[in-house]
Amino acid sequence: MSSNQFTLASPPTDAISALKFSPDPNSTRLVVSSWDKNVYLYDLRDENGAVGEGKLLQKFEHRAPVLDVCFGENENEIYTAGLDWDVRKIDLNTSEQTVLSSHEAGVRSVVYSREHNLVISGSWDSTLHVHRPDAGANTQSVPATIPLPSKPFSLSLTATKLVVAMASRALHIYDLKGLALLTAQADGDTVEGNRVELEPWQRRESSLKFMTRCVACMPDDAGYASSSIEGRVAVEWFDPSPESQARKYAFKCHRQTAEDGVDVVYPVNALAFHPVFGTFASGGGDGVVALWDGISKRRIRQYQKYPSSVAALGFSGNGKYLAIAISPGFEDGKEDISDGVVRIMVKELGETEAKAKGAK
Amino acid sequence: MGKKRRGPTLDELLARPWCYYCERDFDDLKILTLHQKAKHFKCERCHRKLNTAGGLSVHMSQVHKEQLTEIENALPNRSGLDVEIFGMEGVPEDVLQAHNQRVATQYHQSEAERQAVTGNPPSGSGGSGPAHKKPKLEDLSDIKARLAAHRAKRAEGATGGSSREMTPVGTGQSASTPTNSNRRSSKHQLRNHTLSLMGPPPIPAASPYSLASPVYPALSPAAVSPYAPPSAGTPAAYVAAPPGAGPYPPPGYPSHVYPAQPTTLPSGSPSGSYPLPTVPTLDPNNQARPGSLPALSGLPQRPSFAAPALNMQQMQQMHMGHPAPSSTSPEHANGDATQAPSHVASSVDELISSAAKEAAASEKPTKKEKSKNIRMVYSDENISPEEKMAKLPRYAFSRQAFQQETALGEVPGSIVVGTIRDQDTVVDPAH
Repeated sequence: MSSNQFTLASPPTDAISALKFSPDPNSTRLVVSSWDKNVYLYDLRDENGAVGEGKLLQKFEHRAPVLDVCFGENENEIYTAGLDWDVRKIDLNTSEQTVLSSHEAGVRSVVYSREHNLVISGSWDSTLHVHRPDAGANTQSVPATIPLPSKPFSLSLTATKLVVAMASRALHIYDLKGLALLTAQADGDTVEGNRVELEPWQRRESSLKFMTRCVACMPDDAGYASSSIEGRVAVEWFDPSPESQARKYAFKCHRQTAEDGVDVVYPVNALAFHPVFGTFASGGGDGVVALWDGISKRRIRQYQKYPSSVAALGFSGNGKYLAIAISPGFEDGKEDISDGVVRIMVKELGETEAKAKGAK
Repeated sequence: MGKKRRGPTLDELLARPWCYYCERDFDDLKILTLHQKAKHFKCERCHRKLNTAGGLSVHMSQVHKEQLTEIENALPNRSGLDVEIFGMEGVPEDVLQAHNQRVATQYHQSEAERQAVTGNPPSGSGGSGPAHKKPKLEDLSDIKARLAAHRAKRAEGATGGSSREMTPVGTGQSASTPTNSNRRSSKHQLRNHTLSLMGPPPIPAASPYSLASPVYPALSPAAVSPYAPPSAGTPAAYVAAPPGAGPYPPPGYPSHVYPAQPTTLPSGSPSGSYPLPTVPTLDPNNQARPGSLPALSGLPQRPSFAAPALNMQQMQQMHMGHPAPSSTSPEHANGDATQAPSHVASSVDELISSAAKEAAASEKPTKKEKSKNIRMVYSDENISPEEKMAKLPRYAFSRQAFQQETALGEVPGSIVVGTIRDQDTVVDPAH
């Protein structure tokens, strides 16, 4: 079985901000949000159910660039967040868009917890909004607003926890159960009940010295990986016991030595855990995607360099596909993002391609 | 030695093998194939080198179960797997043509540029070799002479007065701290000085030289120890010089060069022909002639120092057509003449290298820092790339403007306006 790669037809026309597969193991749908103000829905399967080129099913236009997207309860429901300050729910069948809430600044990320049926969005206004989408019938339902010490840059969740990576290297870990309870209470409390001071389950400082770029949780709910703009990835565990904390580590990646001997360090823009094997992929500004085994601290493989920066990564629900979104990234010394290739590649992974090899 | 080659000709350039994938050219085909194996046909996974793209593709699929999609390190339009390249074989005709054209235009362009810069005729149009050589030589001595003159001037300025004549050494030793480099430079200065003295007036010197040539052998023993302590010998010699020496008196010229004369003059030397005693007093204004006196003082070491420098000039003179006695000239060639330039050269080299070392020393730490340093593609600590992008005009989004628009009724069908908050509407002046 060979590792095949194909490029999705009709990619976005501008830089890509996020890419998510449906977590449903049988689904081959993926959504992509872009700075061209659209959210794209693709399916890897064609009409006959065969995985081939992949095709664009739908496109949803927004008022402003879309910064994040995620699947909801099933593969027919997505949530989007963008520069127009809104968090939306889009029903893919009816194309109906519902604004769940509005922040006071651009909304950087949105995640959905299936276990607790919560939509959580993080905005540059330094707040989290926690929505209960099932309360949709109740128009009076107002999301709970949780103030944060800094701007959240990346959200990731497991079955029980929410990790919020913020500016100033701050990192909060919330217990989803608590969040769900609180939102339910706040929802019942109609009088100005939407602003909730919630103490995080854990408050941490990033183990990386530079700005956190991305955070991704392990599928087994044991810990998370975070990446920084300075070509480094850290792997940490939730368990606060000293033994577990001693296991945390960080490593350098996504660097290139220029001709003059200077190490060019790229931001690690994307992290994604394999849903089955628990290994993870990292994508950097250098256009390289690498697969890592976080347990044995080994690199499994590194793919050939892509023509532009890796903006987002995603494993399909069954772990058989790895989608790689590349687009020109914002770099120092450039007023504008440079023109470059915007493309979505899908790698059909071999059976053991992303599997940990085991410590030697 | 033949004429210096001026780079390859166009034909040679066109004949060079080059790599289809990266357009780099190589000295021969073997190196090209090695390059291709190492750069383009190397397996990313196991670093095995294959001979061709096809081979790599098969290797990748069989060993690593992966599909090779493009050639590594290739130019963007050359990374395809469709052409089978080995060395220069398999390069498509059109690409070959394009490459040749590019090489030719590049060649002509650089040729034209070089012609514009150097003013040389196009290569192959007549040799300008000798013309090149001579100016070069003169150039060197010119520079030295100027350097010496400049130093003398400076030294003169420093000491002033009638004692100027001994300045080169005197000032160097008295005014400067006795560091190594200082001493070296003062020595060097002295040497240069004497050299320069010899340098300018070769014409008047010509006649005495013919006479003097037999004398030279006398110097050779001294030349063996050309670095005789200048501090001991030379200053004394200088001091002996009267404030004013003769202004380039042709006959006197060589005299200061031959202080050794009295002691080791060979039998053939026409000592009588040296107008030594008369020279120094000829002109009281000449300060550039300190050397003329040493002859009088008869210090043996001094000539050893100055002589080599002189001899170089002398040799030139001699070679310029003055028939020198066959017995002596070879000696010159083997002894003084060859040594002298090498001394000068070596001291110059020393200077240069020491200066270079200093420069390197001052540069090194920064370089080291640099290599330690890393260049971050994105280094803002507080503002994420997305926020920066959001500030770009083309992504600009004004919520207020949108509110206004929606108030005007241009609501996109899908937008639900229900959640607009009070503050938004309050801020909106349209309401």
